[in-house]
Amino acid sequence: MLMTLIIISWVIFGIMAAFMLSYTKDLQHHQVLGVTLSDSHRETTEVQDIIKGYKRVCFLLFLLFIALSFLLFLPFARSYAEFFLLILVLVYFILHGWIVHIFQQKLQELKQEKGWIYRQNRIVRVDINVLKEKGKAGVSAAWVWLFFILSFLPTVYLLFSPAARELYPIGFSFIGPFCQLNIVFLYYRMLNSHTPALSDNTEINKACARTLERIRTTATTLIALSMLIFWLLFNLALCYREGFILIILPLIALLAALFFIAFWQQKRIRAAENYFFGSELQDESHLYEKEACYKWGFYYDPNDPRLMVPKRIASMGWTINIGHPAGKFLGLGIIVLVLAILIFVLYGGAKDYVIKDSGSQITIDAPMYDLSIEKSKIVSVSTLDDLPRSMRTNGYGGVNKSFGHFHVDGYGKCMLYMYAKGGGYVVLKLEGDNPGYVIVNGKTPQETEALYRSITEWVKIKE
Amino acid sequence: MILKIDMTSDIPIYQQIRNQIVFAVAKGDLKPGDDLPSVRQLAQDIGVNPMTVNKAYALLKEEGIIIIDRRHGAQINASNNSGLVFTKDFDQRLELLLAEARMKGASKQEVTTHLLSLIDSVFQ
Repeated sequence: MLMTLIIISWVIFGIMAAFMLSYTKDLQHHQVLGVTLSDSHRETTEVQDIIKGYKRVCFLLFLLFIALSFLLFLPFARSYAEFFLLILVLVYFILHGWIVHIFQQKLQELKQEKGWIYRQNRIVRVDINVLKEKGKAGVSAAWVWLFFILSFLPTVYLLFSPAARELYPIGFSFIGPFCQLNIVFLYYRMLNSHTPALSDNTEINKACARTLERIRTTATTLIALSMLIFWLLFNLALCYREGFILIILPLIALLAALFFIAFWQQKRIRAAENYFFGSELQDESHLYEKEACYKWGFYYDPNDPRLMVPKRIASMGWTINIGHPAGKFLGLGIIVLVLAILIFVLYGGAKDYVIKDSGSQITIDAPMYDLSIEKSKIVSVSTLDDLPRSMRTNGYGGVNKSFGHFHVDGYGKCMLYMYAKGGGYVVLKLEGDNPGYVIVNGKTPQETEALYRSITEWVKIKE
Repeated sequence: MILKIDMTSDIPIYQQIRNQIVFAVAKGDLKPGDDLPSVRQLAQDIGVNPMTVNKAYALLKEEGIIIIDRRHGAQINASNNSGLVFTKDFDQRLELLLAEARMKGASKQEVTTHLLSLIDSVFQ
């Protein structure tokens, strides 16, 4: 379990590092790390030195965090493994943004020092004849809609399979269709996104528009397909529980596919624009400063009606306009959500569950999964050396302990409270089947043995 | 026909859209019966609120330069004889421009030469 979490974190660090390195590519025309630079200025020694420095820092950051993840093998970190890894990933994200910001500042200072001033006014060119033909050249929308419909397959399966519903709540099966619907929305945004009209020849503008439309819609369709494949494999792995590896491998493949599709799209768009507007792009008189209003690293423009805006580096995604009234709430909400997750993980990892008997009932005090069991509801008490294959349906599953609602092979719905090094398990069979069993243990085999003795003594039933 | 919108200009965007369509019709780049893109499409491509484009189209419709049909969208008005050309408003605007030129020291001959070159540019 620990090794799995570490490998997942390495994959996240690797993908972030790959993204960071891609920001130095001039994929957005005259933009390096989100800073406007003409081709001639970009090739100067000073700019190239800054880019090399940035790449060195990206590699060092990646290696540093790989090294830090090995600290998890130390006893003090292992006890809080999930919290420690979550902090590591969060800090990596924050450092990633901070490093990009520092090198953007270096480039801005260099521009000021050298007097590399570009036009401040932004002229948008729109070819009316191109607009009239929008939507006619892309990959058919039928594909993304088909993938959306197919993403409901797990839901349909769950509707007809009560046994599967015990392992997997039907509500979770709507996550895939929700994600696919977002891709449908993205498809239409891609279809309607601005097409450059740099030529005075309308036929050239139209040809470029058709090509770009095809590239963008192909990329979106491939994203939808990748997500559908992952979703179906994920559900298969959950329902048939063939092992955690069948969830991890498709996830890694999906993340890699998304990265390569985004990179391919940017590269093809750039190649198409160079092909159609080669001479116009050489002419740098159309260059303008693309800097927007940023405050404390966040996009801030109360006059901009948009709630979400593309980041300075387009491949970094979108960011909230905190100058927008709803943006303030959204930003605050995200911070609160992240804090809540951190607190939950820390609390779950730090707090042990405690088992107390009080006359007529046993109480298990666990974070968010307390349970009280009446003595009269207990049918039998037994022990188990090894836990059969189990799956968490609603609970906390950590490196050192797990508790909550689980489905255990041969036992069905159970409430499980176990320490990883407890040695064995005490099984309480209950009346009814919701849950049918409560499985507990102590921190060590000796504690588990003592727990079994005290519970059987309390119940005065032995099997 | 290519619209060039200066996003940082003091001239409102709806005014720029209106002015450029008027120029395009005058120069023959847009002919009677030609379709214009829908409000939503044009707004999305420029990157402005649809109300901005709507305002431009409303102005053009009021001036009789375009007609807006529910089925076909916006089109350049085929019958462009929208009545009197040299209205009082037209005269007032032109007089103001001439007065500004005179105020800045331009002679009658200079203004006439300049106006004739602009007329050639529009009527070419």
